[in-house]
Amino acid sequence: MTAENPATTSNNPIRSWLKDIFLDWDRTQMVICFLLVLFLALTPLFISSTYYLGIIILATIYAFIGISWNIVAGFTGQLLIAHIIFLAIGAYTTIVLFNTYSISPWVGILIAGVVSGLCGVVVAFITLRYGLKVDYFALFTIALMVALRTLFLKWDYVGGAVGMWFSLTDPSFDKMIFANKAPYLYIALSLVVIGLLVQYRIYRSKMGKYFLAIREDDDAASALGVNTSRYKMLAVVIGAAMAGIGGGFYMMYVTFIEPPQVFNLGLNIEIVMAGPIIGGLGSLAGPIVGALLNKPFAEIMRGALAEGRSGNSLIVYGSFLILTIMFMPRGVTGVLHTIYRRILNRLNPRNLGDS
Amino acid sequence: MALLEVSGITKRFGGLVAVNDLDLSLDKGQILGLIGPNGAGKTTAFNMISGFYQPDEGQVIFDGQDITGLRPDQVCKLGVTRTFQVVKPFPQLTVRDNVMVGAYNRTNDRKESRKKAEKIIEFLGMKDMREMAAGSLSVAYRKRLEVAKALATDPKIILLDEAMAGLRPTETDEMIELVREISRQGTALLLVEHVMRVIMSLAERIVVIHHGEKIAEGEPQQIVQDKSVIDAYLGEVEIDVTG
Repeated sequence: MTAENPATTSNNPIRSWLKDIFLDWDRTQMVICFLLVLFLALTPLFISSTYYLGIIILATIYAFIGISWNIVAGFTGQLLIAHIIFLAIGAYTTIVLFNTYSISPWVGILIAGVVSGLCGVVVAFITLRYGLKVDYFALFTIALMVALRTLFLKWDYVGGAVGMWFSLTDPSFDKMIFANKAPYLYIALSLVVIGLLVQYRIYRSKMGKYFLAIREDDDAASALGVNTSRYKMLAVVIGAAMAGIGGGFYMMYVTFIEPPQVFNLGLNIEIVMAGPIIGGLGSLAGPIVGALLNKPFAEIMRGALAEGRSGNSLIVYGSFLILTIMFMPRGVTGVLHTIYRRILNRLNPRNLGDS
Repeated sequence: MALLEVSGITKRFGGLVAVNDLDLSLDKGQILGLIGPNGAGKTTAFNMISGFYQPDEGQVIFDGQDITGLRPDQVCKLGVTRTFQVVKPFPQLTVRDNVMVGAYNRTNDRKESRKKAEKIIEFLGMKDMREMAAGSLSVAYRKRLEVAKALATDPKIILLDEAMAGLRPTETDEMIELVREISRQGTALLLVEHVMRVIMSLAERIVVIHHGEKIAEGEPQQIVQDKSVIDAYLGEVEIDVTG
């Protein structure tokens, strides 16, 4: 670790600063993340096609949603499969507040985060109260998603089967409606930056260590003084609240929502799970790296295989996911980590195996 | 009054009485051995004291406070930490992070917990391994890590569940020295152990249980001459020979 490394005490401040960052894998990952954010922020300069910009905006939203799931599934290891529930609730909260009560989406999205977070409390309470773990936890969330789809289909207050939408004809900052795509990208990127910082803070803190300990061994963690129920709930609530905020913004970007579209396992895989799994579940850079590979790949396949039978692109996309999991079980970040350690060992064998 | 006062704890699993009306008492800084043939109920007793099982009857009093039925993390917060017979490292975390999880029991500060973890890792002679993933350690060091994690929680009592089973003789000797040093620093220990050499050289008092019931209690020298103890153990040997 850097603190014990005599070389870092060299009198060159820039060198020691660089060592502080690059001898620490967590910080190195953050550098990768922010380089990606920077790249995304610059894309409007050289991409003018609204189609491609649209893909990039969605990928950015997916990165944020991926971070929210990573905190639950990646850090604490809870198999919250149908995480999209919280995105859907956030999206519905935002649009109901906007359409029915004329509340600005800027406020609505924050309220969406609170509402989704509270739903997270309920989900966590039920699963903890009845000791639902691993596969049972996963099944419970899927069942809940199906139940909510039916409920929302019958519920006129949220538009029922017709769904809800708003018109883009009157762009204004207050209503979070913009005439071109760039503002959407920058809002999404701000969310991602906040998400990355929150994730990093959690990861490096006591809470983060406790989350990982719970993932690795529940009983061992509680023997060391970890209130596992409390921390499991905390993770679900944080993840749910973030997904709610992301869902609110997703609503404002896609402009239309109906129950079968959002209470849907297919979209759940695309929007929530694929990114972190491709990128490396439980790692800091995983969600954003994965989202940037996942969404564009899915779109390119959809475009390239549009002719012929519909569904061809899904076969290719599914195979891509399976191959990724087979050959990179720890995701792209896992591969990067291996390379990183090799480089570090070659430079200085004494730094062997930093976390 | 004793630091840990266990009175009449009983645990039944269906028709099986795993532990029946067991009394234990442990003073500050003392080492108490808990022995008995396989399936005698030693680990079940541990699980009840540390909060993993609720006793069906009886009480566990720690430091004058009734801790019966508290959760494991609450028991740990108060100062009773257990290790596991089947070691439970956090395999993907580094050795240091493993110990830090324990150290966070008494602090919220990252630096402080890290400093404490480093100190304990050094005490256990694992300094060179602190960046290694716990899952890649050898059995001997996994056992040591188990002790390190427990120690990091700043306990008044450590419940060691067969911390030396499966170790080579030299490794066992090193572990005995470590336990002795921990005890010297004022931490009381309750040892469950199969290796008689360990118990005999460490424990000040020994409690023998058989079929969930206490059959003898006393100093090590008394215990090895106790008829009921010899019967319990020799009975087992006899079956081994004929079977």
